[in-house]
Amino acid sequence: MPAVIDQELCISCGKCDKSCPLDVIHFNLETEITEVIYPEECWHCGSCRQVCPEKAISIRFPLRILVCAGTSPY
Amino acid sequence: MIDQKIRTDVLIIGGGVCGLNAAITAREAGQSVTIMEKAVVERSGHIAGGVDHFLAYLNTDKAWDTREAYLQFTATSAKGATNLKVVENVYCDELEAAIQRFEDIKCTLKQPDGTYFRTQSYGQPGPWWINFNGKKMKPLLGKYARKSGCNILDRVVVGDLLVNDGQVCGAAGFNIRTGEFYVVQAKAVVVSTGGTNRLYQNPSGLSFSCWMCPANTGDGEAMALRAGAELANVEYLRMTVVPRAFSAAGLNALVGMGAKLVNGKGEEFMERYDTMGMNGPRYKLVEGVLGELKAHRGPVYMDCRHLEPKALKHLVTTLAYDKDTLPDYFEQKGLDLSRDLMEISTSEGMQGGPNEVCGSGVKIDHNCATNVRGLFAGGNSADQCRSLHMAVTSGLHAGRCASEYSKHFNGSSPSPSEKQIKSVKQRLFAPMNESRDLDWREFEDVLQKVLTEGMGPVRSKWSMEKAWQNLDLLDQWKNKVKAKNFHDLCRTQEVYNMMTVARCMITAAGYRKESRFGLCHNRLDYPEPDDANWLGQIAVRDEGDRIVPVFVPLNY
Repeated sequence: MPAVIDQELCISCGKCDKSCPLDVIHFNLETEITEVIYPEECWHCGSCRQVCPEKAISIRFPLRILVCAGTSPY
Repeated sequence: MIDQKIRTDVLIIGGGVCGLNAAITAREAGQSVTIMEKAVVERSGHIAGGVDHFLAYLNTDKAWDTREAYLQFTATSAKGATNLKVVENVYCDELEAAIQRFEDIKCTLKQPDGTYFRTQSYGQPGPWWINFNGKKMKPLLGKYARKSGCNILDRVVVGDLLVNDGQVCGAAGFNIRTGEFYVVQAKAVVVSTGGTNRLYQNPSGLSFSCWMCPANTGDGEAMALRAGAELANVEYLRMTVVPRAFSAAGLNALVGMGAKLVNGKGEEFMERYDTMGMNGPRYKLVEGVLGELKAHRGPVYMDCRHLEPKALKHLVTTLAYDKDTLPDYFEQKGLDLSRDLMEISTSEGMQGGPNEVCGSGVKIDHNCATNVRGLFAGGNSADQCRSLHMAVTSGLHAGRCASEYSKHFNGSSPSPSEKQIKSVKQRLFAPMNESRDLDWREFEDVLQKVLTEGMGPVRSKWSMEKAWQNLDLLDQWKNKVKAKNFHDLCRTQEVYNMMTVARCMITAAGYRKESRFGLCHNRLDYPEPDDANWLGQIAVRDEGDRIVPVFVPLNY
């Protein structure tokens, strides 16, 4: 789960939705909740966090990035 | 059949740095401009999250700081891939205007004290990299483009160019949220969709965690090819050195500030791979890292511990301009560059030009024009352009030249044919068919494995033939890929486009019977460079039933 939205802090302004270059974050018009719906397509570019007026977004790296082991395919 | 029909003078496909600069320039030339962009232009493309370096000579009194020095370096470091006539017109002639554009959008290349902070890397003869705070570059550029009166179609991905009697006359695409089908008729079209970045396996196992923007999947190259355009320099593999498992940009800043690669035994090893050591080309740094790992002298680290506190502070700051979340990576791993070695590895492979001053993709001439009338290209999707500096200059130039072309139509210009629009629509929406059942992720995963295995840093006739056979097998599953919504439909088009680029890549690499630019095109069966026979580009074009390579000599 790379970008994580703190729903307590989120004011549903939709800015992060518009800022994601990968269409990963969607503001749900019906529920008015902003969700990271394609976490596996996150580029970790930080655009969403930069635009969030409430500092409601944090970046949590997948474990495979933080603890990396194994042979490289190259 | 069509939800939105739009007429414009100049159509820009891809609203990244190149596309927005082209759009603004075309507006300044009095043209009506429409931009089709698969995300939202304020935060789309490779510079979405920020950038920290722009390459320029500044005409000071230093011998390395001139147009001549730049051209000389380009001629030697990208010999056989760079077309100097194009570089002169597209980069050198536009450089001054490009630097002015940064001032216009209020994203200066200067430090707060009014000076330029310049660093040197990759064998360049002087400190050509200007470090700057480009954190807000893309939003500023996007706002400027909107203010200049461009019609911006956010979240509209282009499926194909529309061609009438050999003249490109627009494009068709759909909104990735609503599925609305768009047809834009134009007098001139600029393709600026970036490179092909998700084509190879990512060492982290996370396909989208790649070095350059994962939304850039060769869309422009594939659609230009289908419209009859030539692609060039597509045989080359591009890789970089990154923090292990996190393909973050930043190698240039690290090397430029004096960081050193060391192996598990603590030895500096780059001198063994290149006479310039740490100041060698990027592909040599990759070769060094792979060499140490293959020889079981890994893990390999980047050592910044010897840097002066002031230099280290600058480094950490500038790294965060280039990759916003790199400080989070350091923090979550408990990494302090003043105290710890940073483990590094190579990034995933990608289809890209040989170095920072030469690209790959749609073949352009000195006017950013392709061999198809009305079609122009720039930025990472054009064969001569690479990096931010050429994204900006080629944007300016493509915008200028496309405007000139558009103006030559007095009154009427060709219209797209209903027949082509219908067939494009049918092709684009086919993956929504209920009878399909294959996930695009599975298709992409296999495509990446095929390329990594057969088209990696070591290739040969037999490895490439095997990759081609595997693509033939994969092709049989192409019409099974299903999209359950319009987001997935966009991803499905992306994997199809990457498949097309893969075919072009293998065709060109198989044709070039020599090795060139180290690991970029490293053939086991033809291990040496062969200037007598291969000093030039391979151009590929689609002839319906097959992709045909042609050798285009270059003189230096």
